[in-house]
Amino acid sequence: MGIFKQREREIFDLMASSSEVGGSSADYETMMSTSDVELLKRAWRNEKAAPEILQYEGALVERAKEQIELVEETIEDYVENGKDPLLVSLYQMDLDRTQFLLRSYLRVRLVKIEKFMFHNLKSEEAERRLSEQERVFATKCADDLVKHFEETVLLKLPENYQSVLKQSQISEVDDMVPQPHLDTFVVCRSNNFVSLNLYEEGESPETVEMERGDLYFIRYKIVKGAIESGQIDLI
Amino acid sequence: MYGRKGYQLLKDFASGEKGQLKPFNSKLFDETIEECDQNHHLLQSLIRKMQQEDLDVPNNRNADHYGALIHHLSLMRNKRCLMAYVYNRAEIVRDLAWRVGLELLDLPSEIQEKLTSLEKEYFKNHSVALKSYMGKVGIELNVDMVPPKDPYIKVRILDDIDEGIVLSDKTTNFARHSMHFLKRTDAEPYIARGQMEELTD
Repeated sequence: MGIFKQREREIFDLMASSSEVGGSSADYETMMSTSDVELLKRAWRNEKAAPEILQYEGALVERAKEQIELVEETIEDYVENGKDPLLVSLYQMDLDRTQFLLRSYLRVRLVKIEKFMFHNLKSEEAERRLSEQERVFATKCADDLVKHFEETVLLKLPENYQSVLKQSQISEVDDMVPQPHLDTFVVCRSNNFVSLNLYEEGESPETVEMERGDLYFIRYKIVKGAIESGQIDLI
Repeated sequence: MYGRKGYQLLKDFASGEKGQLKPFNSKLFDETIEECDQNHHLLQSLIRKMQQEDLDVPNNRNADHYGALIHHLSLMRNKRCLMAYVYNRAEIVRDLAWRVGLELLDLPSEIQEKLTSLEKEYFKNHSVALKSYMGKVGIELNVDMVPPKDPYIKVRILDDIDEGIVLSDKTTNFARHSMHFLKRTDAEPYIARGQMEELTD
């Protein structure tokens, strides 16, 4: 009976401390700083829902990696010391969830880079949002694809039509670059009171006002700036 | 009719299942390129004709000009069709790298047959790019593709794998049709390749 009660208390402590910042009793220290996990979750959700690539959260990723390593070591320690296997697998599950978040965040970004590789390298705004390694990846990806195009199609075509980015020498701009659709509708929730312009500058200045906690189904273009500044979250 | 072959090429691509490749249609592809060549020759001969008649080529609007314009537009359209065909196939190739694995030899042979050697080159190059990124970041990105529910899952072996498996906490002999209780992260690559299936009940 006593053993069960003690286990119950331990498990309860575990559950309780993983939902509040700052850990709780016994020899259990908070697994991953919960605010970091929350930030990672928010970054992941935003990245998944947005049609274009968002700013790389470098510091967050670094912190997350360090903490994951730390927890992995702790778990190994516990396993070797024969700590309660139920506790260990709970730690393990929490770790798995966080690792999944991190991996999925990086994956979603890579997929977006692959999809819009030429656009990302051309637009300065997009380039600024990539991490150093992502930029290297994007350049290599683009080079590979250009080489592939050239060998399969372009070198067999007549001279003025051999460019990857332009339809022909006569085109004035690079008209063969696919661009992200900033007009897609997204679901978002506001964190503060926000008032946004519905139309471009110079046209009729209709605004939409969002209270804190309101859900809106709106075009991405309109909320783009507010997402960057953290006032609005995508869902 | 100009442009018909390009259209057929794309229809051929679209008639496959979404996300699946059909064998590379070299015949139509080469025919479309030939048509481009034809267009180009006719275009050039029309322009030369206009030059010989001493007309101001960019600004004069006579029948030859419009003839040349049609050839030019047809060429551009064919170029777009060809590039769309190659681009969409390349997209599927990249997708394969994510879903199945980064080694060319890991791809099932039915898929390998449908790729041209150039596409295989592209696949290899792309894998190298991905691997180098993952190496720099220090995290493997092609495991954990599905949000983790249970750390352990039941699997049934579909192919003969025998001794070739390395598990993190035990070694087992994997005979065909046998069922095992494995860690999700261990089993994932095999499930993706079709060598195991997850039992959910």
